[in-house]
Amino acid sequence: MSTVIIGLFEGVESAAGASRALQALSLPAGSVTTISAVPLPEGAVVTDPAPIRFPRIVIAGWFLGAAAGLALTLATYLLYPLVTGGKTIVSIPPTLIITYEVAMLGALLATLFGGGREMRLLRFPPKVVHDPRIHDGKIALCVLVDGEGQAFRVTSIMKAAGGTDVRAEEGEL
Amino acid sequence: MSAEAPRAGTDHLARTDEAAMFERLSRSNLVTTWRWYLGVGVAGAVLLWGVIVFMYMALVGMGVTGYNRPVFWGLYEASLVFWIGLSHSGTLISAILRLTHATWRAPVLRGAEAMTAFTLMVGGLIPIVHLGRNWRVYYALPYPSSRELWPNMRSPLMWDAMAITTYLLGSLTFLYVGMIPDLALLRDKSAGWRRKFYSALSLGFRGTHAQWRRYHVASTLFAILIIPIAVSVHSIVSWDFAMAKVPGWHSTIFAPYFVVGAIFSGIAGVVIVMAILRKAFRLESALTPLHFDNLGKLLCTMTLLWGYFYFTEFLTVWYNRNPEEWEVFSSYGGHYLPLFLTMLICNFVIPFPMLCLKRVRRSVPLILIPAVSIVIGMYAERLLIVIPSLARRNDPFIWANYFPTWVEFSVMAGAAAMFVLLYMLFAKFFPIMAISEIKERLFHTTDRKIGGATVESIAQVEGEEEARA
Repeated sequence: MSTVIIGLFEGVESAAGASRALQALSLPAGSVTTISAVPLPEGAVVTDPAPIRFPRIVIAGWFLGAAAGLALTLATYLLYPLVTGGKTIVSIPPTLIITYEVAMLGALLATLFGGGREMRLLRFPPKVVHDPRIHDGKIALCVLVDGEGQAFRVTSIMKAAGGTDVRAEEGEL
Repeated sequence: MSAEAPRAGTDHLARTDEAAMFERLSRSNLVTTWRWYLGVGVAGAVLLWGVIVFMYMALVGMGVTGYNRPVFWGLYEASLVFWIGLSHSGTLISAILRLTHATWRAPVLRGAEAMTAFTLMVGGLIPIVHLGRNWRVYYALPYPSSRELWPNMRSPLMWDAMAITTYLLGSLTFLYVGMIPDLALLRDKSAGWRRKFYSALSLGFRGTHAQWRRYHVASTLFAILIIPIAVSVHSIVSWDFAMAKVPGWHSTIFAPYFVVGAIFSGIAGVVIVMAILRKAFRLESALTPLHFDNLGKLLCTMTLLWGYFYFTEFLTVWYNRNPEEWEVFSSYGGHYLPLFLTMLICNFVIPFPMLCLKRVRRSVPLILIPAVSIVIGMYAERLLIVIPSLARRNDPFIWANYFPTWVEFSVMAGAAAMFVLLYMLFAKFFPIMAISEIKERLFHTTDRKIGGATVESIAQVEGEEEARA
């Protein structure tokens, strides 16, 4: 469990003002984030330092699917040969079609699982930092703090920038 | 969101009462009327009747249908093509609109995507209905067994099974991932069992900045992946026919012709579903005449494209006069004349002039006329593709006409009821409007003064995520 200071802001401008003021504290990268009902542009309030890696998994999923499709068709031809006059045992056009379909399925599943993993979905820790009032138009600014002194300074900055219901919560950010 | 009260303010979301907007857009989840129960009851009863008749057919045999030699494919296969075709526009249109950043897309997305998922579920069951010995459907699965049976990958029917499975899984995933932020919203707004239900389904999504960034990249990737899958599915459905040396089927143009026809009927289906949702859940402020106007323009374009493809297909056969193919086309003027006229009138003669008129496109009751007409016309077209080619096959000694019996009509009525029932249950328990997308669009929209006029201005920030990734 970590300590997170969370405060609610009426709009992007006030949240961005608080975020700019927090930069003076030289907090570690990734320790300040927003929780909002709509996606905010990168840099509008905070920036996300972590690179998005899962598209690589999607490419890997595509190739894995292609290999599975190819293996399925080739194994079918070789294990259950269909001898037809004038036609080859290994038929290329059906192989391409099945390979394509299974490859696309592999890419879709990789997007689902890779994206879900990077979004940290399907994880239900005992307590997470959240405020449902974001759905009423508020923006929650959350700061991961280390020690009471830092918590006090962050709280003061957020209140000064117009934050309401600024509080410390124990939970995962 | 034209109905939002304009007040002096910054952006459109800032001047919107979000709580009121949530209640208005979630009406299907929050309010259960007697009409909903009645609809579910009627659809459930028709589905039950369809299931009973299907079991009777399985018990007695396919002899109770209108099938005969040589027409072994009839209403079931035509319905399969029809339902798979209907599925096309939902996810495809949604994906295209996402990738092109069409600003009007938000209220249309969810309903269209749900339509795809449920039409595919219905369509995917029809081959099993048609199978004859339905209880042996597992023979088609590739697993080692003492029977030494294994699916033949050279068969277009096997490609079909693979393609429909991929598209169904892809469409369900696309629908589900698109719903996650709205499920999180419903989780935060509900209590009791609903809260637990939506908590489980929203997978712990909270809307942190990092989550939103990745969510956008994932949505874009899904949209990119689903478009070629959608095109391949109906191409492969067409190859079920085109790979056979049957007059009227064996055609190189079949794949693009099927894709165009599928999108055509799919958009008409989306228009009908949107009009029903708008009326049933009082979504007039979200589904405005602008949305129907834009869908109407797409439909008008597809009417022309369908007409072009049909004429091209007809012209080559007419000029060639290959006797085998010409016999099939000649039957359109004989036994199948009512179907042929229904197709031409409903697919072109009625919709094209109507959809050219802005007044029709912007009026919900009026645009329903061409949309319903197209759905009827496309069903007739599917019947014309499947049946006459078999009824007039190469050998005149086995020519025979076909007409479905009460069994086929009952089972297909059950299939239609299944779609209605699934859709009604979905609308009750899941967010039928993409609320987060609508809010995002409002967030990006502001008013800009140009001279004496005030116009809507939309900030485009999408695409930035992909660039950074």
